[in-house]
Amino acid sequence: MTEVPGPPHLQLLELLAVMSSYSDEDSAMGGAVEQAAQALAAEVAAIVVDNRVTACIGFPANAVVDADLLAVARSERDSMDVPGMGRCPAVSVEWVGARRGQLVVARAGEGFSVEERSILRGMARLLGLTLTMLRTLQAEHTMRERSEREAAEKARLLDSLRQRQRLLEHLFDIQRAISRRRPLAQILDMITSAAQDLLGDEVVGLWLCDGRDTTRAKLVSGVGLHDDIAQQVPVVPLADAGATGVAMLTDDVVVRSGYEDTSQVIADLTGGKLCESMAAPVHDSGTVTGSLLVGSYQPDRTYGPSDAQTLRAFAEHVSLALTDANTVDRMYQAFRDSLTGLASRGLFLDLLRDRLRAAEHVALLFVDLDRFKVVNDTLGHAAGDSLLVVMANRLKSQIRESDIAARFGGDEFAVMLPGVSSANEASSVAKRILRVLGEPVVISGREFLVGASIGISLNATDVADPADLIRRADIAMYQVKRNGRSGYRLFSEDMQPALAESTAAVHVITDHEARSYQ
Amino acid sequence: MSRDGRRWMGVGHSEYRDSGAAATAAAGAALVGDDPKLLIVFASIEHDASALLAALGTVAAGVPVIGCSTHGEIGPGGAQDGTVVVTAIGGPGFSVATSLATEVSGRQRAAGAEVAACMPETSDHPYGVMMLLTDGLVRDQESILRGCYRELGAGVPLFGGAAGDAWRMSGVYVLGGGRVVSDAVAAAAITSDAPLSVSVCHGFREVGEPMIVTNSGDGRVYTLDDRPALDVYLDRLEAPRRAYTDAAAFTEFALPRPLGVRRRRGLEARNVSTEVDIEGRSIGGSGMIDHGSLVWAMTGDEQSIASATDTACAQALAGLDDDLPIGMLTLSCAGLRAVLGEDGTRREADRLAKWAEGIPFAGFHTYGEIARIRGIDGFHNQTLAVMALG
Repeated sequence: MTEVPGPPHLQLLELLAVMSSYSDEDSAMGGAVEQAAQALAAEVAAIVVDNRVTACIGFPANAVVDADLLAVARSERDSMDVPGMGRCPAVSVEWVGARRGQLVVARAGEGFSVEERSILRGMARLLGLTLTMLRTLQAEHTMRERSEREAAEKARLLDSLRQRQRLLEHLFDIQRAISRRRPLAQILDMITSAAQDLLGDEVVGLWLCDGRDTTRAKLVSGVGLHDDIAQQVPVVPLADAGATGVAMLTDDVVVRSGYEDTSQVIADLTGGKLCESMAAPVHDSGTVTGSLLVGSYQPDRTYGPSDAQTLRAFAEHVSLALTDANTVDRMYQAFRDSLTGLASRGLFLDLLRDRLRAAEHVALLFVDLDRFKVVNDTLGHAAGDSLLVVMANRLKSQIRESDIAARFGGDEFAVMLPGVSSANEASSVAKRILRVLGEPVVISGREFLVGASIGISLNATDVADPADLIRRADIAMYQVKRNGRSGYRLFSEDMQPALAESTAAVHVITDHEARSYQ
Repeated sequence: MSRDGRRWMGVGHSEYRDSGAAATAAAGAALVGDDPKLLIVFASIEHDASALLAALGTVAAGVPVIGCSTHGEIGPGGAQDGTVVVTAIGGPGFSVATSLATEVSGRQRAAGAEVAACMPETSDHPYGVMMLLTDGLVRDQESILRGCYRELGAGVPLFGGAAGDAWRMSGVYVLGGGRVVSDAVAAAAITSDAPLSVSVCHGFREVGEPMIVTNSGDGRVYTLDDRPALDVYLDRLEAPRRAYTDAAAFTEFALPRPLGVRRRRGLEARNVSTEVDIEGRSIGGSGMIDHGSLVWAMTGDEQSIASATDTACAQALAGLDDDLPIGMLTLSCAGLRAVLGEDGTRREADRLAKWAEGIPFAGFHTYGEIARIRGIDGFHNQTLAVMALG
């Protein structure tokens, strides 16, 4: 089977769903190793806490080799012997918290990619949070039976538990937003708001590298910062960015007092009131690419390990959102025409094939712009591209949501109308498209009349091959071109001699005619 | 018989209606060598399982038996219903230990670990496979496999299938430990001095955009993309209206259209036709689908399934390296019969016979196939699982 691409955060969503169903640490760790092994198609997964293997899957029950696992957990080795599988590449990621621990995974065959390590880091972070929460819960349960004197401690623990619960709820919401493919800016705003809500500080700022310049950071999202300045998207050299810059340069969580090592912009953003700040690095596909900062205006504010853990969790989710946005971009590009956003030729053919296989009625419109070359040659490729985008949008505005439009390359488009079996119905769509494509277009300050020629074919008879259906529409379109352009024709059997010619011949004629018309 | 004469496999097939006579005839044909080590029985739900066992006890006294009811038997005569297929393996090159876990529902993991314990910790034979035959009406079959995997680790492949009852969905039987039981798992730890090669493949492809499982549990999917799973699934496949309101129409429509669950190595097909809840608008089957999973609706046809059959057989045989095969076990999903139809199912069996090239082969149409080779997952739907014995 081939590898299936998919956003990495979904594995975390699955883990979160599984983890939230456990009520004690042992079963949570048992579930987590299975989930980690499943997500990475690994044979072995283990959890090491305080230098002890606390959960493991993949070894025979009586033959777990602790020494090997512990060596990988300490990053002293990057492979281990698994009975029956030989030497397997292995990787370990650590979480910090009330109890430090490592998640170890080993897989026969290939090693682990950057994305996979990034998923594992996210898993380890969630695991650390869940275990801390379950431990607190367990402690709270034990305390119920103790005396009143411990009421204050109990309240503190309960408060901590509630905080953890709220954190998990926030993280869950964020992951859902990523799953739903909400716009990246919206997800980042959601994370900064959640960080502010949970840590309770006055300001939060998310800074990311300024394009490819890794020596400067720009503010992309913030809460509580001076609006006028924040809206200008300020850019600051890392050396003058205070905790933000240090977190990015050291790839670690840092705490800074006041305006140590900061430019005036930072003071302006915070109205000169910043007392203490803490920042955690964020990554894109494993590389440091920014930092998430919280800042307090309270002189007595100190940041402890629990605060750092919370900030790290939010920073990790920024990383997930950024990595996911890249993955989604890549997936989108694979199936969509990068210029117009319409379906690619490949996707269109796949979808058409599915419809024809299901013996559904389909009408196909082959659309060729009439005077595209004039614009392209007069004003250059950039203008040509702008024209294609305008035309693609106009074309889309005339079809139903269930119809599919694709760019076939150059100035050729195709439209699939599922469920349409009558020539009248297909013709009325072609007329609408002709009307909007024939309206004047202004490109680089000049007005052009472009127009289009449209060929229509229907599968109402016996056409089961997508290439055949497209060829028929192509031939009908060619007839329009030959008869003076800017019109539409339905393929008919009297055009059959042309169909009988080889595909190559048809294309030669079409290309030739197209050249003479353009 | 293997080249060194240390291992043999035989298959017998009987269409007799009388269960005792059928078992006697099929086992008689299967016992082609000395020192039989295991009998594997695949029989129609219509047969009297106790009579089958009693007859086998007479024909091959003292030889352990595992087996189960089917949704159709696969054997030398092709794909058939209402028959008995018996496979026998034997010779000094094989060792076999069997076990049986009962009352499995609600304790699937423990049951998996229980049956796995029959695999010897050390063996003179370098190759081993744990063969499992489960009650196909038990939910969450993955947990049986997880329990097994936790006990055995990555080094032992798992192979087998879930028993069927010809879509009656009222009760299957499993044979093991000299008993006929339901809600059970029968297992055979087979070790050999030649490779035992397991493979699995499905012939389905995804349709349209993926969906996210936003609520699931206990083998059921409640919501997809935050909407009722039944409606989202049917909408995606543009199903006929009747499938929305009639459970039988839904099952008929969904049987050849599994959900594909994204795994690192590809899409895992999950049959969701058997556990529809028209009122609650949820869907499900015997396989687990985790909350948060990325899934696709899938379709297949005879051509794509034939190509998967070729891949599974070719991979299993290739896994024997230099050893010649002495036989094959071929377990095919019951759901595939709905896609293939009667003629297509016959052609699939012919295709298997072609791959077997004269060596014995046997199998059945299952309610779920078991084939764990890599990773920790091993329960499948809509696939062909093959074990080639070297």
